[in-house]
Amino acid sequence: MGLYALGVNEAWMTRARVLVVAGKGGVGSSTVAAALSLAMARRGADVLLISVDGRPGLGPLLGGEPLDDRDQLLKKVGRKGRIRGRTIPPRQAFADYLDMKGIGGVLRRTAAAASLDTIAASTPGLEHLLVLGKIKELVREGAADVIVVDTPPAGHAAAFLRSATALQEIVSSGPVRTQADEVAAMLGDRTQCQATLVTLPEETPVSEVIELAYDIEHHVGITLTPLIVNGCWPERSGLAVSPRIAARDADIKLTASQLRALDVSARFGRSRQRLTATQLERLARELPLPIITLPRLTTARVGPLELAELADALVDERSSMAS
Amino acid sequence: MTAESLSDLGLRLLAPARFTAQSLADILDRSGLVITCGPGGVGKTTTAAALGIAAANRGRKVLVITVDPARRLADALGIKDGGKSYEPHRVRGIGENGGSFSAVMLDAEATFDRMIIERTDDPAKSARILSNRVYRSIAGSLAGAQDYMAIERLHQLHSSNRYDLLVVDTPPSRDAIDLLEAPDRLVRFLGHPIYRALTMSQRSFARVTNAGTSAFLWIVRKLAGPALVEDTVEFFRSLAGIEDGMRQRASEVAALFRQTDTALVMVSSPRAEAVSESAFLANAVVERGLCLRAIVVNMIHPLPPELDGLDEVVAGSLADHVDFHRQLRELALSERHEMIALTTIAGDAMTVIEIPLLEVDVHDLDQLTNIAVRLITLGSS
Repeated sequence: MGLYALGVNEAWMTRARVLVVAGKGGVGSSTVAAALSLAMARRGADVLLISVDGRPGLGPLLGGEPLDDRDQLLKKVGRKGRIRGRTIPPRQAFADYLDMKGIGGVLRRTAAAASLDTIAASTPGLEHLLVLGKIKELVREGAADVIVVDTPPAGHAAAFLRSATALQEIVSSGPVRTQADEVAAMLGDRTQCQATLVTLPEETPVSEVIELAYDIEHHVGITLTPLIVNGCWPERSGLAVSPRIAARDADIKLTASQLRALDVSARFGRSRQRLTATQLERLARELPLPIITLPRLTTARVGPLELAELADALVDERSSMAS
Repeated sequence: MTAESLSDLGLRLLAPARFTAQSLADILDRSGLVITCGPGGVGKTTTAAALGIAAANRGRKVLVITVDPARRLADALGIKDGGKSYEPHRVRGIGENGGSFSAVMLDAEATFDRMIIERTDDPAKSARILSNRVYRSIAGSLAGAQDYMAIERLHQLHSSNRYDLLVVDTPPSRDAIDLLEAPDRLVRFLGHPIYRALTMSQRSFARVTNAGTSAFLWIVRKLAGPALVEDTVEFFRSLAGIEDGMRQRASEVAALFRQTDTALVMVSSPRAEAVSESAFLANAVVERGLCLRAIVVNMIHPLPPELDGLDEVVAGSLADHVDFHRQLRELALSERHEMIALTTIAGDAMTVIEIPLLEVDVHDLDQLTNIAVRLITLGSS
């Protein structure tokens, strides 16, 4: 590594009204969405964190109650900053949408009501579009300085973001088309919306994030922020020297059990450092995006303390790598 | 882990155990269908492939069905190109004692197209369906359609009787439940009054008389324009000839999932988030009457032995070693603490297999075989 360069100016975070955070399953994109919200609130922003997939645990992580479909104050930060959180269940977005279009009352109570869910679930991308449409409404209402969107995990982030353009292809008129047009315009407007991709410094996650970046930039036209590489072990040059030699240099005699313990960690540490360095180089080579590295946490359970640590690292210029 | 936090994980529903744990070798020897499930990013596809190799080396004729393998893993299995690999691909050099190993990638769109072509007697009619706008978007991207076609394809491959064991790799977490529920859902959908009214013999939208169905179509028209309504009606109607078969096959697959020689294997990791998703999923599958037989925990950090003394080292290379040792040990211990929840879920009923974090990403057959050996060895209790 040692590629640390000029810090990425942290102003990127609040540059658009909507910040979509996306990554494949297991890379920690929900945690990163929460850490970004905290970092922005510390800068005095009024942040609304939306978990599309309804991860209730994000609420307690930020000091509040589990998230539900109502707007909830999670945390006040400093004099001006605050974080609110909520989910947007597709079903609710659909009901709101029907109300808005004047399809309510009697019709909703007919046999067709049972089929409304079927319509939403069986029209490709409609649920996603409705959720994005709801977010667009929140932007229009001026619901927050920045709306942070934690996208559905696994392979669905791309499908979520592509829902508007996909529907434009099959629906040629009517309100759904209008909605799709407006959402597509919001996603493509860099003052309205940008996307932060999250990955791990491992081969498959790196390959997948490269693919995801080109996919959504090409199909959605969304502006990408610096890339966040989660779970990077901090660089420790001393591991390159064997524990035995390191001890000799420090004039310390290690016991056999000390040596054994350090050999186990050193072997693992060296191989992880090599892997991390290789994958960071690959990202720098293959994606023209600045990179922010986040430290590997030394716990399997992320709590408020760890979240604060990640929020610190997001704005620490030592986390930034030149692209 | 307190009793309270265990009940948060919904563990009450899992007790009492319905079977005693079998070794993984036994599970692979005795099952006709193995389904892997679990949260995203825990190495599910890799594990499914390794399970298949392990079974093939134990003399079984195995087919691994995957949904979305990482590219290099797909290369290793010879199923890179979706279009070309519609038929299972036999991987040479794997399989001992008469066993063999094949792999296939699930292609929902191709499966749907083939089903339409094969089950429609009139080529003009099938051509009309295939070019229908609603059909194209449903076949290509409809979330549910992927699951329905997985069922259709699974039925084909299972009834071909060419394999002793099918290993099915499912999409992450909640979707895995979707997949397991798909047969029941399809049966319900095909029996829905609106669906039935749509597929009756009226010639056009104007003649749909069922009140609920008219309302349904009215909403579709209001939201998405009249052209889409005609396409929707035509699409549902065109399915009329083949729905009985679909319903039949879906019921058979639903029954297959609940057979005693069908085993679910949960794949997870020791991260708290993955553990709670796994608990949620374990509950859901057991509630649905499916047999969860084993839990594979991947990506466990190595636990270095405790280090006595050396607290006073503050600088130089040795300080790096001491710091790194402390951090790694802290993480490894924390992971072992989270894993208690998984072993509690397993109880006496399931084997838990712990696989250490691998130094490299797995993308060749030697590495997969290596994991297969580890799975069998570690899963022998």
